Amino acid sequence: MTALLEVENLRVTYAGAQRDVAAVAGVSFAVAPGEVVALVGESGSGKTATALAIIGLLGESARIEPGSAIRFEGRDLLRLGEPEFRDLRGRRIAMVFQDAGAALNPVMRVGEQVAEAALVHGERDKARARAMAVAMLDRVGLPDAARQARAYPHELSGGMKQRVMLAIALLLKPSLVIADEPTSALDVTVQRQVLSLLLELQRESGTAVLMITHDLGVVAETCSRALVMRRGELVESATVDDLFHAPRHAYTRELLAAMPRLARPVPPG
Amino acid sequence: MTGSALVAVRGLRVVHRSAGLFARSAVTAVEDVSFEIARGETLALVGESGCGKTSAARALLRLIPCDAGSVTFDGTDVLALAPEPMRRLRKRMQVVFQDPYSSLNPRHRVGTIVAEGLVVHRLASGAAAQARVASLLKEVGLDPADTAKYPHELSGGQRQRVAIARALAVDPEFIVLDEAVSALDVTTQAQVLALLEHLRDARRLTCLFIAHNLAVVQRIATQVAVMQRGRIVEAGPIAQVFDSPRHEYTRTLLDAVPVSDPRDPRALRGQQAERAQPAVGVANRQ
Repeated sequence: MTALLEVENLRVTYAGAQRDVAAVAGVSFAVAPGEVVALVGESGSGKTATALAIIGLLGESARIEPGSAIRFEGRDLLRLGEPEFRDLRGRRIAMVFQDAGAALNPVMRVGEQVAEAALVHGERDKARARAMAVAMLDRVGLPDAARQARAYPHELSGGMKQRVMLAIALLLKPSLVIADEPTSALDVTVQRQVLSLLLELQRESGTAVLMITHDLGVVAETCSRALVMRRGELVESATVDDLFHAPRHAYTRELLAAMPRLARPVPPG
Repeated sequence: MTGSALVAVRGLRVVHRSAGLFARSAVTAVEDVSFEIARGETLALVGESGCGKTSAARALLRLIPCDAGSVTFDGTDVLALAPEPMRRLRKRMQVVFQDPYSSLNPRHRVGTIVAEGLVVHRLASGAAAQARVASLLKEVGLDPADTAKYPHELSGGQRQRVAIARALAVDPEFIVLDEAVSALDVTTQAQVLALLEHLRDARRLTCLFIAHNLAVVQRIATQVAVMQRGRIVEAGPIAQVFDSPRHEYTRTLLDAVPVSDPRDPRALRGQQAERAQPAVGVANRQ
């Protein structure tokens, strides 16, 4: 199977006050269609900079070094102009951020924000966009979606806001969703519901997910393959089963050893 | 346990009131909360955001007022203490907060921050205070030379070590750790947890450990109380509560903790795959 996304020798540098900082220092990996891949690392590992480079949302202070390549559905993303990238973003690649409260527009009703994804990508019929939005909000489990579509983000709980983010991201069935710590700000019971929903939607639409997380528990729950980053470098790439049961890199072993594990009695049966 | 309890909380009630210009509001954060912590024990207060665990701890320390209930520390009625005896009692109970970025004064050097308690409680000054700070920094795994640094020159883990050193400076008997390792990266978190365990045992500290991460709690606590919507719904020795939870909410919390092994049958991706491909036996029966 050909790769959906290929990242080759990606180098991202941030211009600092005193000196430049290499946030991503030559990272290469690929994601196959429909795959759920974890990009794991601690703060400062470069995992978010890698994600932002893929979706073309690195800020002004960052630059992608020559020699880097990001191929997505056969196109070189680093050579795309902004109008072409805008067409791709939201339609073929979508992003889910950690803080849904900050990512959603506070003065726009949530239904409007879901419908917007359809409208900016060519849907002319407003009634149809509205119907799509309500159906999607219902699909992500917003109770009484037709009514709640009129809610503003602040009227929803953190978990519900993240469901709205998933509705926006998956509305157009993109082939890749980048989820950057999508459940790190949520309580554990809500986290499980949101992760479960993300996996359901991902399966339904055949979307690949690049799951950016610091939490190996989230990796064990949801991913089939994992990439471990440390200080801008990719130190290990393995199936999740191998990562947990036959880790090769010392840092992966260190992460696994440090992971808080809840010991529980084996369930009967 | 009653006889040996260092800290005893009875029927605690905390109402957060705000008197705005246009409306008053009152939210009951803690309702009828009671627990005891025996000397040398670590009680974990667990629950999700908004459950009242931090409010309960702050009321216990008299950092916020409470509306009903009593707090006893080593036989002393904490809530009835006059300012001066309360100030003296504070030397015996200390707190470490979650966010080492906002709990350390950014304009003070590490040495000043750690020595603050020594100065306030007139325990040491001058060269004696400096020597004490150096030994505390060593005890929490920092370089005594860090005393001249500012918080922004330190990593998150190092800052949390400074906060721990500051709490230990006055030789407390009781320490409240309010999500003290929650903001740290996992490898740093493991190191700080190991440090806390070591210090607790070496100094025979009694601890109230507030946390939402049950795996961390299982490692460090001896007793646990589970809070939901301001109330304690279940409490007991950690092994008993975690291995055979009686309250529905405790079970929900435990079941929601991510698996630590992808081969665990409870892992979401395994369950999802099963749902996507219904078992043949089920299909045949239809």
